[in-house]
Amino acid sequence: MKPAVKLAQLSRGMGALIGIAAVFVVLALAGVAFGSTWIPIDQVAGVILGGGDKTQQIIILQLRLPRVVAAILAGGAMGVAGYLLQKITRNTLASPGVLGVIDGAALGVVLFLALLSDESNALVTSIAWQPVAAAIGALTAIALVFILSGRQASSAIRLLLFGIAIAAVAKAITMVMMLVGPIYRTSQAARWIAGAVNEVNWGEIQITAIALVPVMALVFLAARKLPPADLDEVSARGVGLNLPLFRIAIFVLSAVLTALAVAFVGGIGFIGLMAPHLARLLVGRSITIGILGSFLVGAVMLVGADLIVRVLFAPLEVPAGTVTAVIGTPYFLFLLMRKGRTHG
Amino acid sequence: MDKRLAVESLSVAYGQAKVLDAISLAIPDGKITVLAGPNGCGKSTLLRAIRRLHTPRSGRVLLGDTDVAKLSDRDLARQIGLLAQSPSAPEDMLVEELVRLGRYPHQSMLQPWSPKDADALEAAMFGTGVAHLRDRRLGSLSGGQLQRVWIAMVLAQETSVICLDEPVNHLDMAHQIDCLDLVSRLNGEHGRTVVLVLHDLNLAARYADRLVFLKNGAVVAEGSPRELMDETLIARVFDIQCRVIEDPVHERPMCIPMRNSSPRFSA
Repeated sequence: MKPAVKLAQLSRGMGALIGIAAVFVVLALAGVAFGSTWIPIDQVAGVILGGGDKTQQIIILQLRLPRVVAAILAGGAMGVAGYLLQKITRNTLASPGVLGVIDGAALGVVLFLALLSDESNALVTSIAWQPVAAAIGALTAIALVFILSGRQASSAIRLLLFGIAIAAVAKAITMVMMLVGPIYRTSQAARWIAGAVNEVNWGEIQITAIALVPVMALVFLAARKLPPADLDEVSARGVGLNLPLFRIAIFVLSAVLTALAVAFVGGIGFIGLMAPHLARLLVGRSITIGILGSFLVGAVMLVGADLIVRVLFAPLEVPAGTVTAVIGTPYFLFLLMRKGRTHG
Repeated sequence: MDKRLAVESLSVAYGQAKVLDAISLAIPDGKITVLAGPNGCGKSTLLRAIRRLHTPRSGRVLLGDTDVAKLSDRDLARQIGLLAQSPSAPEDMLVEELVRLGRYPHQSMLQPWSPKDADALEAAMFGTGVAHLRDRRLGSLSGGQLQRVWIAMVLAQETSVICLDEPVNHLDMAHQIDCLDLVSRLNGEHGRTVVLVLHDLNLAARYADRLVFLKNGAVVAEGSPRELMDETLIARVFDIQCRVIEDPVHERPMCIPMRNSSPRFSA
């Protein structure tokens, strides 16, 4: 009887995961098919598999596929970062945005662009360092939030409050940098801060993908320790998990994931908040499936947001991050109000 | 069970304030030892130091011949179980999921969930009478049920020593007795060594094989409940005048508090 119940729960989660994956595939193909000219799905598949004519190859492989792949990687990484943060703080309001990690990463990149460009606005160093700059910014932000929260770093509310404060400070410094910076860099940074996937190229995608592989491997390694992290600190130590140490490890992992998402695509807000929610709602409490689900839902959201801006605002290029923000902000307010009710 | 638990001149301090001052204590194997004393005497700190939640300023806790400071987190969790004073877990967690966490220290990358883990899980759930609740969410349980589930988690850990920090604090009278009867049964049937922190002196005297009185971070007295339930000693440790009589039902000493012996509350 009992194993059957377990199996039923697991397969419900698996079923939901397969459903999300199907939506993901359809949306990703649609993301490539839509644009100034519509290319039928079968031809899209043909080109990706190595066929098609020259024009279609250029449109798909050079223009459309990179932005879809970039959206998948960035949205997915953001979803997983949010999942980890919500799990470790035991608070559904936690996300890379709320904890100041996105703005920290943004500041890291803006400083990198400002300090390491020459007179003609060319980078004096390799673009591969951009994610490193984002990671330094993200890690600095989360470290500050953690240190400022002090001995009560286990209190989610304190972390969130300091996160919002750090985010505001990082945003302010970024603004100043943009106001005093060179015009070209400023307009580039502005688009980038809103979060846009249209200017990402294959080289940047390669860097992101290569870095994501070991980070995701670490995430799945850490996943085994996540169940006891649901407990209070003393009980977690009781079953052999050094929770304070593990919490730092998870914060570092989420900051790195956020940095990878943000480094080339920019500060796409609220995916890290919404994707894990939706994923948990769909697949249930299982952790491995929850992580995969968060990745896919995050990817679906960003690919979808990019599709929306392309369909609604063409020929203008509106950053996809504006869509996620427009949907995400009321969602965040809704969560806040619901939380207020259950605790009041 | 040759892994005898002993505390050797253990001192613990929070910053400058010394909370435990050179405590030495032998915990008898397979027995229930109750730590008691007035508020702030250091009894919870001692229990937590035994489970290495505090780093001692000096001294050590020995498990057999091993200093617990030298054990890994996992090894320690396989030998000493702990029920925290106010444990918490997500309300939407299932009862079985929580009890399952007791098996966490027995698993690793190379040792996934095994039949042995499943057996321990079932034994713990049936032993504490929570098996019928396995698919319930924690948020839907009563205080008494929830405490049983937490005890089941600690039991599933299959440690030779179990520490419980004021396990009956938030329970009503019926559930206090229910919970401590359960602990005493686990001690009797499974021979687990139990270290308990209890506030209520009469409950302490009723369930303890060995009673330890602490005050100001030091052990004032230790012995059987009959030895320690002494009117003069209780007055000295707890600042209260009392009469000690024999509980006619359980044939244990019990104390009837009368008047505070310290001048601070007198009119």
